Amino acid sequence: MRIARSSPMPGFGLAMGITVTMLSLVVLLPIAALILQGASLGPSAWWAAVSSPRVAAALYLSFRLALFAALFNLVFGVLLAWVLVRYRFPGRKLIDAAVDLPFALPTAVAGIALTALYAPNGVLGAALPWKIAYTQWGIFVALVFVGLPFVTRTVQPVVEELDREVEEASASLGASRGMTLRRVVLPTLLPAALTGFALSLARAVGEYGSVIFIAGNIPLKTEIAPLLIVIRLEEFDIAGAAAIGLAMLAISFSMLFIINAVQIWSRRRIGLV
Amino acid sequence: MHIQIDEIAKTFGATTALHPLALNLPSGALVALLGPSGSGKTTLLRILGGLEFPTSGRVLFDGVDATGLTVQERRAGFVFQSYALFRHMTVFENIAYGLRARPRRTRPEAAEITRRVTKLLDLIQLPDIGQRYPSQLSGGQRQRVALARALAIEPRMLLLDEPFGALDARVRKELRQGLREIHDTTGLTTVFVTHDQDEAMELADLVVVMSMGRIEQVGRPQDIRAAPATAFVREFISA
Amino acid sequence: MSDIPVPRAATEESRIVRLVLILLAVGGLAILVAAPLIAVFAQALSDGGRAAVASLAQPDAWEAIRLTLIVAAVSVPVNAIFGIAAAWAITKFDFPGKTVLITLIDLPFSVSPVVAGLCFVLLFGSHSLLGSWLIGNGYPIVFALPGIILATVFVTFPFVARELIPVMIEQGRAEEEAALTLGASGWRVLRTVTLPNIRWALLYGVLLCNARAMGEFGAVAVVSGKIRGETATMPITIEMMYNEYLSVAAFSMAALLALLALVTLAIKSLLEWRYADQLAATRRH
Repeated sequence: MRIARSSPMPGFGLAMGITVTMLSLVVLLPIAALILQGASLGPSAWWAAVSSPRVAAALYLSFRLALFAALFNLVFGVLLAWVLVRYRFPGRKLIDAAVDLPFALPTAVAGIALTALYAPNGVLGAALPWKIAYTQWGIFVALVFVGLPFVTRTVQPVVEELDREVEEASASLGASRGMTLRRVVLPTLLPAALTGFALSLARAVGEYGSVIFIAGNIPLKTEIAPLLIVIRLEEFDIAGAAAIGLAMLAISFSMLFIINAVQIWSRRRIGLV
Repeated sequence: MHIQIDEIAKTFGATTALHPLALNLPSGALVALLGPSGSGKTTLLRILGGLEFPTSGRVLFDGVDATGLTVQERRAGFVFQSYALFRHMTVFENIAYGLRARPRRTRPEAAEITRRVTKLLDLIQLPDIGQRYPSQLSGGQRQRVALARALAIEPRMLLLDEPFGALDARVRKELRQGLREIHDTTGLTTVFVTHDQDEAMELADLVVVMSMGRIEQVGRPQDIRAAPATAFVREFISA
Repeated sequence: MSDIPVPRAATEESRIVRLVLILLAVGGLAILVAAPLIAVFAQALSDGGRAAVASLAQPDAWEAIRLTLIVAAVSVPVNAIFGIAAAWAITKFDFPGKTVLITLIDLPFSVSPVVAGLCFVLLFGSHSLLGSWLIGNGYPIVFALPGIILATVFVTFPFVARELIPVMIEQGRAEEEAALTLGASGWRVLRTVTLPNIRWALLYGVLLCNARAMGEFGAVAVVSGKIRGETATMPITIEMMYNEYLSVAAFSMAALLALLALVTLAIKSLLEWRYADQLAATRRH
């Protein structure tokens, strides 16, 4: 390989070969199959499938609740990162480890556990004045659970590396602690927090396992988009499933794109590049 | 402003950073705290600025006890070793920060803030950099912006932690002169920390030589050079 | 001596603010994370420990555990090999399109597991050309073990590579180059220099990959066809039992996976604590 010759290191051909082959077979080829199948529908048929009331409602629901859950996780995640890095209290290490539980716990397990908790006869469901399980609140709770660690884990290292002198400078210029946090600390955490928010949002939009048990799955009300794909497949409506799948893929990719752009912009603004 | 340090001591857990020490800094003086790392000079500076609080002893500004004043109440213009500029704000916003942080009653109007920031940019001889971000400045420019930001709050004194530490030799010489000029223009009591005896001797009116949390000698540069009080001082200034 | 109370440090919040924030953090995590975990075990043991164990001894349950272990045993090593190869290519060589390659490796993280499963159904299902040909020759992919493994590899694809790349960038190429000048072959360099340097990051990635592989639900739900005793993994079996109101059985199997998650977290925390320096690069990305 010509490129490899510029480096004395061996193994470029083999390593690159494994990488590209696996990437193509496992990731790119299947995604291409979806895009091709979607494209073979033609734009008008695709639009008809996606804009039908039930599908549009499901896509809107998935996206809207994912956004709410990611916003909740943005605020709570920054708070959690701050508390875990800056404060010393008994049980801190345990709490720090517990943040990752949603990453490690299978989604189906989380799904039935949350349902047991928030069902009308569950511990929390009985205690709360309004219905959680089998409503959009239930979906929100499940999406908060699966997206919880992202913001904390992206913001935590940034809090650890914050320059204390900058906070001291703000204080010595007469700023109250609140103003220092608002004007100096939070803007510095923003790029990392946005990254975490994006990851949390992307995860929530496509989430399936933790949601379907608690959602109630009533068409037009609590039926999420991934579930509708599964239903279409069970009805052997391959084209219908592909149409929704393609729409979700497009939403994910454009979100990824927008968020990368926002991130580059905010990093540049604080001079990280 | 006259600064009086009255038997200040500071311990961090089991380690003693400052043994009880007393010091008088006359109003309008340019003072160097000189010593090797670990001598306690930065701790002393941070106590003056209200960033650290003494374990015992008092600090008096113009004869008034200031020991319990918070950092916000001190009105000390503090220039940090890393300059600690706010990366996400322009130079203008950095300098205006302290004025905008004031309670509404005493906060100047926007036009007045602009006027003052412009004047400070002129003072540091960088009139055209207001809209730049700190990442777009050279080390020397950053130091001067940090100085302007500290001056913007109309401080009662100027405190600088190794103000030339992060700069290369050529810029360092140039900015020494700049600090001298700013001190003479403002007439502020100015205290800077350094480990470089040349810098202390050349720039300061009064040099405080420190070692291991104690003051070894206080005096004018020529007096210290002529008559070092201890073996440590002799060794350190000849190095 | 000063008897004025010492004001708080310039970079600290007041006591009351700190207390409120800590309570919010601990309370929030208790409700959001600890409560569901406790609920799993409480539900599993609601008819006593014996009933829970008995439900796991059922043939279907046993078959699900076996299948899940097989899927993990194939897909995790495959991903480990891929991760090492990708990290080697990306960190030891300079080539055009590197950023694109990294983005593509991360792609599965932004694809819904259900959409991932759908992709494999479209590629290998009986209605597609490739699928019908494979089925005709006796090699069904979808609704069979190969499909489950493929879908699992897809959803866990970036795990190992993502852990290794930052660590290997941080470590640079100097040690490998030194070994080469001493006459070591490429394989020898990998075995005696690179792998020892990245072993904890590799273990970290494999651990997370395994947790996800054994717990994957959405993608497997779509490709497996949910055939009891044949293509039903542990998470799929949980769903089936739950839908049949076999609560104790469903939660007992869920408790088994929750235990796996707890062990994963414990080892992960141990690694982070013990080898913080060698994993530092990972946490920063």
